Amino acid sequence: MQTTPATPDTDLQADNLRRAAIDKSVKGPVLFLFTNGAFWLMLSTLLGVLAAIKLVEPEFLGDCPYITYGRLQPAHINALVYGWGIQAALGVMLWIMARRSGQELKGGKSLLITAGVFWNITITFGILAILMGKSTSIEWLEMPKFVWPVLLTCFLCYAWPIARMFGRAFRPEGFMVSTWYILGACFWFPWIFITANVALHCLPGLGAIGAGIDAWYIHAVILLFFVPVGVGAAYYFIPKITGQPIASAQLASAGFWSLAILGGWTGMQKFMGGPLPAWMSSVGACAGVLLLIPVGLVGLNHHLTTLGKHSSVAASPTLRFIFFGALFYPVSGLVLAMNSAFWTGANLQFTQSWYSFQVVSLYGFFSMCVFGAIYYIVPRLSGCEWLSVRLIRNHFWFSVYGIGTIVIMSLVAGWQQGADLNDPEHWDQTFMNHVINSRPYVVSRAVAWGLISFSNFMFLLHLLLMVAGLGRRSSAPTLLEHDHGDQALPHEAHA
Amino acid sequence: MTNFRTFILGLAASFGLPWLCLIVLPAMQYEQLTPVAYDKDKDGVEGFFPPAPINGQGQLVYIREGCNQCHTQMIRPVQLGLDGWYKGWGQDQEARPTTPARSNVLGDYLGEKYALLGIQRVGPDLANYGWRAPSAAALYQHLYSPRSIHDWSTMPAYTGLFTLQKIQGPVSEHAVKLPKKFAPPAGYEVVPTEEAERLVEYLLSLKKDYPVPGQSAAVAASPAKK
Repeated sequence: MQTTPATPDTDLQADNLRRAAIDKSVKGPVLFLFTNGAFWLMLSTLLGVLAAIKLVEPEFLGDCPYITYGRLQPAHINALVYGWGIQAALGVMLWIMARRSGQELKGGKSLLITAGVFWNITITFGILAILMGKSTSIEWLEMPKFVWPVLLTCFLCYAWPIARMFGRAFRPEGFMVSTWYILGACFWFPWIFITANVALHCLPGLGAIGAGIDAWYIHAVILLFFVPVGVGAAYYFIPKITGQPIASAQLASAGFWSLAILGGWTGMQKFMGGPLPAWMSSVGACAGVLLLIPVGLVGLNHHLTTLGKHSSVAASPTLRFIFFGALFYPVSGLVLAMNSAFWTGANLQFTQSWYSFQVVSLYGFFSMCVFGAIYYIVPRLSGCEWLSVRLIRNHFWFSVYGIGTIVIMSLVAGWQQGADLNDPEHWDQTFMNHVINSRPYVVSRAVAWGLISFSNFMFLLHLLLMVAGLGRRSSAPTLLEHDHGDQALPHEAHA
Repeated sequence: MTNFRTFILGLAASFGLPWLCLIVLPAMQYEQLTPVAYDKDKDGVEGFFPPAPINGQGQLVYIREGCNQCHTQMIRPVQLGLDGWYKGWGQDQEARPTTPARSNVLGDYLGEKYALLGIQRVGPDLANYGWRAPSAAALYQHLYSPRSIHDWSTMPAYTGLFTLQKIQGPVSEHAVKLPKKFAPPAGYEVVPTEEAERLVEYLLSLKKDYPVPGQSAAVAASPAKK
């Protein structure tokens, strides 16, 4: 769109007005998703604490059948994935796509809110059903059968306007890597979700193949939905706040397409040596290790982009969260590669390190990026600035400590568990050594979720205050450090 | 607009290939599988493989309680793990079996809606639990109060599958026998519900190491012949 030449000042003003109009158009749905997502995250972390405690001390809170580990753990993971993860992802996707494509959300806002309400109601029923004893025991799809068509419809209600914005704004000359990732996530998730649900809920029964499909589903959702959203957010916010262009377009493009090509192959190595045809788990294992390539490419690109801008990483809450999220991306790739490769995977199979992969990719990487995005987006939607530097700082550090503990402990625990399981000395023993040796690690898992719960309590509180419009009335953003007065963030960072 | 179309096509192609190869084709092939008849001369046994459908009612309780969070049902080959050599993890219950229990094949789970291969291995593998399981009575005790058997156990006590009732007349023959420390108050007894009975039947029926038709090694290893 060519405009008549104007002075930079009026140009800037027109830009700001346009941005404000876009923000206003997506305000309702985005804030709705973030707030509800934050509630689910809170619940999920509390369930995580409880599940870990029950795994050490099953008599905690009595023998109530609704809170045995076998029901709590799926409830915890489902709340994390569907309650928090997908909801928050949709909010971030919608906002970034609207901003990046320069389009207002035209109409259909009430439909989006309705879809969000239905999403939350359905998940509430689904998770209650797990606790009441209606679980399907299909990992990540434990909620009863009736849940998935509703979730799918709600998701499509959001995916459609996002894809339309992309289509309308697509310019061949413009390189828009963040929107590539987001459109990919919009496109792949329904496909993955329908495939897994039809195969596992509607077909007459696939036996061991079904178990393989389930493992594939988990990894496909992580790698082709959560990872793209996290990386997309990082690609959007890192250049915006540091004021540097993305270091290399070739790296970005290669990172995207290698993820797209490899992401769908992995997962079945979870059952290596099992009843699945051997080639299926071998392919999964190869892809799991090869995924280090896209992970490394993206990591390198982010590193090059932030190079020399570390003071803004310290100062801007958004950049700090996203920077650490982007650091956890290679970590999650390494955990996946270790689980997949034959010579470490044989030891880590059926241990906590698989849980560790889910947590590090969902919380360490994806959620940290989304927190960063939320710290940027919400002030623009609610019209006030974050209240307290201390709350943000605590949210950040307790999350980092918590997630670090979970990752390290789960990996060490996985190694220990595997060693105990495969120790030839134990061939005629009970599982006593195994259970007693893994106890301290499970305790630390409970402590780590406790730290994360604490950090999310502050996040939830802060977010609610912001949504209620009780934030600071100021034109200056809330920064974590002010030591470099002159080196203030470039203007773009506040736009 | 061609670029947009190429982009969507790229997204579809990159994901469509693994989707087709890894999910659709194997699932279609699996749907064709049927139980295989044993060859009496070669396999030495008669009937079909897998021999019997699993106990669906009991499996529902297993699924509902999320037992697969901690128990796998999958024996790995010996190059991957110790599974096959664990004492009693196969049909052979002797102290030192001469051959390891065989690893599982696709056919072992035929007829199951969803194979409960498991998520973590916090407790022992249950693929062939039926061979080494103690009596049903001991299993009830294990389900009702795992710590009455191993004080270090982290298994939940599934008291919800049992009813605590006042003894009327003679003690019920189904009543769970418990050591003194874990016993119900005097005048009461613990009786398994129907769900617990189905679950125990299911656990006792878990025998996934029947010889595979056409694999003579499996037959030679099978102690059923002696």
